[in-house]
Amino acid sequence: MEPALQAPSVSKRLLRRIRSFWGHFSAQGKEIWTAYKEGDAKTRASFVVMGFGNLARGQLLKGLFYLVFEIGFFLFQILFGARYLKDLATLGTNQQGRVWDEAAQIYRRVLGDNSMLILLFSVVTLATIVPFVVIWRANIKSALLAQKQVEKGVKLNTFWQDCKTLLDGRFHITLLSLPMLTLTLFTVLPIIFMVLIAFTNFDKTHQPPGNLFTWVGVHNIADVFWGSAVKSRTFFGIFGWTMVWAVLATFSNYILGMILALIINKKGIRLKKMWRTLFVVTIAIPQFVSLMLVSRMLTDTGIVNVILQKIGLISSPIPFLTETGLARASVVIVNLWVGIPFTMLMTTGILMNIPADLYESASIDGAGPVRSFFSITLPYMLFITTPYLITTFVGNINNFNVIYLISAGNPLSLDYFQGGKTDLLVTWLYKLTVNEQNYSLASTIGIFIFLIVASISLVVYNLTGSTRKEDQFQ
Amino acid sequence: MKKTLSILLTLALLIGLASVSLADAITLKVWGAQDDQELLVQLAEEFKAANPENEWNITFGVVGEPDARARVLEDPIAAADVFAFSNDQLVDLVNADALYEVTRNVDAIKAANSAGSVATATLKGALYGYPMTADNGYFLYYDKSVLTEEDVQSLDGILAKAEAAGKKMFMDVSNGWYIASFFLGAGCTLDLDENGKQICDFNSERGVLAGEAIRAFTASPAFLTGDDSVLQGGMGDTICAGVSGTWNAEAMKEKLGDNYAAVKLPTFTMGGEQVQMGSFLGTKLVGVNTQTAFPVEAMMLAEYLTSEEAQLARFLKRGLGPSNINAAMSDAVKADIALAALAAQSAFGVSQNVGGAYWGPAEAFGLALENHSDADMQGLLDQLVEQATAE
Repeated sequence: MEPALQAPSVSKRLLRRIRSFWGHFSAQGKEIWTAYKEGDAKTRASFVVMGFGNLARGQLLKGLFYLVFEIGFFLFQILFGARYLKDLATLGTNQQGRVWDEAAQIYRRVLGDNSMLILLFSVVTLATIVPFVVIWRANIKSALLAQKQVEKGVKLNTFWQDCKTLLDGRFHITLLSLPMLTLTLFTVLPIIFMVLIAFTNFDKTHQPPGNLFTWVGVHNIADVFWGSAVKSRTFFGIFGWTMVWAVLATFSNYILGMILALIINKKGIRLKKMWRTLFVVTIAIPQFVSLMLVSRMLTDTGIVNVILQKIGLISSPIPFLTETGLARASVVIVNLWVGIPFTMLMTTGILMNIPADLYESASIDGAGPVRSFFSITLPYMLFITTPYLITTFVGNINNFNVIYLISAGNPLSLDYFQGGKTDLLVTWLYKLTVNEQNYSLASTIGIFIFLIVASISLVVYNLTGSTRKEDQFQ
Repeated sequence: MKKTLSILLTLALLIGLASVSLADAITLKVWGAQDDQELLVQLAEEFKAANPENEWNITFGVVGEPDARARVLEDPIAAADVFAFSNDQLVDLVNADALYEVTRNVDAIKAANSAGSVATATLKGALYGYPMTADNGYFLYYDKSVLTEEDVQSLDGILAKAEAAGKKMFMDVSNGWYIASFFLGAGCTLDLDENGKQICDFNSERGVLAGEAIRAFTASPAFLTGDDSVLQGGMGDTICAGVSGTWNAEAMKEKLGDNYAAVKLPTFTMGGEQVQMGSFLGTKLVGVNTQTAFPVEAMMLAEYLTSEEAQLARFLKRGLGPSNINAAMSDAVKADIALAALAAQSAFGVSQNVGGAYWGPAEAFGLALENHSDADMQGLLDQLVEQATAE
């Protein structure tokens, strides 16, 4: 393989991608500028009155579609959006009040502004600008196209002909618009909303509709890093443990699962299928059932401690889940139970795929089993399974189930802000939201989890042999 | 045939729609514990019968008292109109303006319920909840075959007997609710100031002494911690005494049989003196959500669900101790051993004005002692207070 064909480094590739992204935007801008320069009065009018160019040239339905869309958009902005957008800067100033109702003998509540709804609908309103710009651009292009076709004397497409292209030349639009729409509505918009919450003081003392919350800038981010000693101590403590956990959980399962598969695969081991099946049976029990059972078994009066005490090995219960070090060891070890069978299954398949002649020639050259493992098996495995390792690693950073069901993040610590010593960032986030209603802090943590996970996966994935030397797969 | 069928179906649909949108039906959602559902339905039926002038549409949801605060604050608009909650959640709910003040028949309600239970529902002079039960507190269950009435007077007495007999004394020290009993007994303050900010002086001189007493308690070989299941499993077997509340009364009765007994909490040794353990006066309250569309009707229902008859029914059906004075004076309630012990303990009870930030650090503190931490007590308590009073 020529070295010149080696993939460029990660940073270069990233830079190139960013450049092409912006290049795309500036090209769009240029296109519209050209349309303005080349357009006649009718086309230029489409810049303001959408569909004018099409209407003026007889494409009635198409022109009307654009016009109605524009009117609808502005009506929506004025009748619906403006109500919320006007309060976006403050997120509401009018707190829920109460007045004495003599007849009913109660303090009637006078509804105030609802900061959450203001933020939510502002995001929705602002988001509608994106499809507007897209359609506005399509309208200009369509006006220019109509102008040029008229100049050339080509007969213009009828509305039906345009519609038909959606099943043919522009079929990708037909196929992708629904997924894109749902993706935007159910994923992108909620994410934007959640990210914005990180810049507010939305917590249980600022809970709508009873109270208002407002923008606090980067206060929460500052808190996490340096502003509040206990919060940053908690964040970095939990972040450190999250990383340690992710490494331990990923590689312990990977290596032990592979060793198990190797043992079962070894020549001379009888009843291979039975052993495999036995381990796979553990998958058949739902993960959460095993985890909750083990969690009960490890309590002070759980079966493990009781048996150990009854046979006289220990005099007082071992604090499996209540002492920091032991609790951390416990979650890692229990995680083996749910992880090893999967690794074993997957590696078994790959191991059987390694050409036997590699091992034969190695043994002829005098390599022992250890040498062939490190020189043949492991490189082969790593080459194929690195993407899997990355997904597992990232999955472990956010492994809510295992931690929450075994230890619930406990033991709690006085060093930490509402967190425990086996808490991962994601379980801490859960506690902050559900027990503490500290949504803004939780949202901040959520952003960091995303940044950590995204950067780790991007960088590692780009560095791996599987992507860089795709073509070199033996 | 098909035509007729489709017309019939359309008609059925129309009738269905009409019945749903029947004018002026008062729609109320009620949240209560799983075990209360049957009783709630029965009480609601009685309530409807007693108020025939309105069309009622009352629905029920299962949200236990301990979860009410979290579930209501999650989305107050979607939450129930009338819901039951433990009084420790009162502060957070009022701060979020999620509770209506009780202003209708307020004098009658205050007069009908015990002063202690009314105090737990009162904040800054206003009553925010309808007292429903007055049994959300703890006391001591013990095994008469191991401990005498004399022994259970002091913690030292219990521990000495238990150690000698190779038995355990159960208390969930890694729980802010229980562990507070030492500090409250020592005279420490856990309260809210007029701005709703938490005050806590567990790190005072007497607090440190109380902390050392807890450390000594957890160091005893007879000390046992855990959750309710531990107590339920071990009482009468390895456990001879345990601190818990009325919700475990049935289980204790069953495990101990004739040896079943309950008393107020013992005294403990603090810097050489004997100090009575304190406790929280815990009640369960019914609240009316400020987001309800029918506040007056919701209040009528809440008042009915906590009336004397309803509380008596709740005692007979669920064994929950009434806060209503007349109901509490009934012979059936008086004969209840657990409720009698609770009543005796309530003389040393403190109204539970505690915000949400206290519980996590308090649990962490208890856990440190359970794990026999040898850290400086003043330092531990300083951390506890700092976190519990954090904004």
